[in-house]
Amino acid sequence: MSNINGKVYAMNAITPMKPWKTWVLRLIFFVLGHVKSLQQDLINLSFIEFARWVVVPRAGFPQFGNGQEPEKLTYDYLLFFSNFNGTWNQYIDAFSAVLSKGLNLIWQWSEKFPGSVPVTLFKEYIGRVQFDTDYYFTAYPHATANDLKAAHAVQASYDDLRSRVNSLSDAEFADAYMSFVLQVQPNLGETGEAPVVF
Amino acid sequence: MSKLNETDIQGFVLRGYNLPYGRYILLRFENPDRARALVSKLLPIITTGQRWDNGKPQSTVNIGFTHRGLAALALPDATLLSFPVEFQQGMKKRADILGDTGLNAPARWDDVWHGNDVHAWLGINGLTATALDDCCSQLRSLFAETRGAVELAAQDAVSNMVDGQQTGKEHFGYTDGFGNPDYLGIERNSQPGHGKQLPDGSWAPLATGELLLGYADEAGELPAAPIPHILASNGTFMVYRKLHQNLATFRSFLDEQSAVYGGGREKLAAKLIGRWRDGTPLELAPDAPDPSIVKDPQRSTNFTYGADGAGTRCPIGAHMRRAHPRDAFGFNGKLIDRRRITRRGQTYGRFVPEGELASDAEERGVVFMVLNANISRQFEFVQQQWIEYGNDAKQGNDKDPLMGNHGGHGKFVVQGDRSATNPPLVCAHLPSFVELRGGDYFFIPSMTALGMIAMKLVDPR
Repeated sequence: MSNINGKVYAMNAITPMKPWKTWVLRLIFFVLGHVKSLQQDLINLSFIEFARWVVVPRAGFPQFGNGQEPEKLTYDYLLFFSNFNGTWNQYIDAFSAVLSKGLNLIWQWSEKFPGSVPVTLFKEYIGRVQFDTDYYFTAYPHATANDLKAAHAVQASYDDLRSRVNSLSDAEFADAYMSFVLQVQPNLGETGEAPVVF
Repeated sequence: MSKLNETDIQGFVLRGYNLPYGRYILLRFENPDRARALVSKLLPIITTGQRWDNGKPQSTVNIGFTHRGLAALALPDATLLSFPVEFQQGMKKRADILGDTGLNAPARWDDVWHGNDVHAWLGINGLTATALDDCCSQLRSLFAETRGAVELAAQDAVSNMVDGQQTGKEHFGYTDGFGNPDYLGIERNSQPGHGKQLPDGSWAPLATGELLLGYADEAGELPAAPIPHILASNGTFMVYRKLHQNLATFRSFLDEQSAVYGGGREKLAAKLIGRWRDGTPLELAPDAPDPSIVKDPQRSTNFTYGADGAGTRCPIGAHMRRAHPRDAFGFNGKLIDRRRITRRGQTYGRFVPEGELASDAEERGVVFMVLNANISRQFEFVQQQWIEYGNDAKQGNDKDPLMGNHGGHGKFVVQGDRSATNPPLVCAHLPSFVELRGGDYFFIPSMTALGMIAMKLVDPR
């Protein structure tokens, strides 16, 4: 059991919300979901592979029958799930430094949320509500999201060059090859082992 | 913010003395009472941050302690256990985190670091070699008189001289020391590019707590610090690293690569670091060095990378762009404001001008000292994530071309364009230009804290 697989970290956090507040959060999610510009800061954090918040209503938990008693829950729950590259501290530090308003908007409806600034209290809170990952599959443990994007860019440029190569004269090829190199030159980092966790 | 209490802060923390001669003495304490007696005797000669109204002094003395040193001074356990974990462990135990493996592994460090004996560091700087020696003999007579400490080793350092003039050049020929940050409350000739960038593009000092304990940091919090508060306040942590430079390897690398690089030897040297060897930033002058920029404090550090996302001026993986990425990771640099470090470095070994024969085996390099409030969040993060790794710069596992622990396996991409003098270049099989020869983490206490330690008054409550 580990939250870490190579260069990727999986974080689950589950926080309780009073049911009336869930409706406020649903409205906020509706707005955030439809106004793409509001998501831009989250998307621009290039070490985040994936981040999603989901409301799990108290009546929404599965009932399998076979004698399973229905639960009487007083809270709805907010599930946060994220995969990211780098250290836990780096991730929360970055959240707190550049996304504090957005995070507060989403998490302030959860019980005992201290705010995303100052960061130490925020880290303590996340530590308390985080659930460790039981099983974690990642296809490319030696690659980060940036590495994957870079590889796609290199592959696309290479495929493009290859598709044209037979129709080019020597001079044209030299020119096309130079264009290829200039396209891929920011994307040539190695993949490999992740740094030691600290 | 009002001015800091400069007389309570060690001078070395507030300013680089820029004195040409240095000696770093490493001490072992034998007995807590005698060691405290030594600290008492040292107190009046420690150089504080008080301004030098009558010009530079002949010599300066500063002091720091490892965690083992503080234990040897018999500080209360509750205090010792309240120090941050990385400081308690010391640099050697953090080797895997820092990438200090292979050629940089502790087994290859200088003898003095092989045991766990280094308890204290004394940094002495002198205006002349004689002034340095005089100061050191005064200190050594205090060691003898109090029998408080054994001198384990002394590392001499001297600024490189060119034509008899002191220079800021290190052994590879780069002019060093441009980019130290400004902090609130610390008097300094501020210039744009120091400190942090604001959303409107202007520059402002970093929060004091990024350098000093006891003040708010960039997150608006007090940095993690030992108890009691008065022991920590106005103190900081220092990372000491002796960095050996393989000068022959560096020069033959430049010779070999520039034979196939259309930009030429000097431009290749500039691409490794992000500045021409005279200090001109590539971002401001990509084609040739411009001394007028170097001399102009309004320009020498006043640049960003936002308009050079492709790295065709300053390569994405260049040393300077990694160690101080400015706006390179977006968000107006907000992601880097809590990763800044203050550097105090001094060269050691004989300076060999270009054209004269140099060998890797000669003792030569930089005594590299970092000051920061939080070693883990600042120095260790920069070293691990930005120097020995490249994901934040979108360069995968590629390391800092100049500082990286390559061991013959490094890679560095020089992004270019279609012009003949700025072509793209991939340097493969990079050797290690720099190797670590030892070091440790030190606590640099305030004058108040030194007095408390000397008088056995540290009370963790």
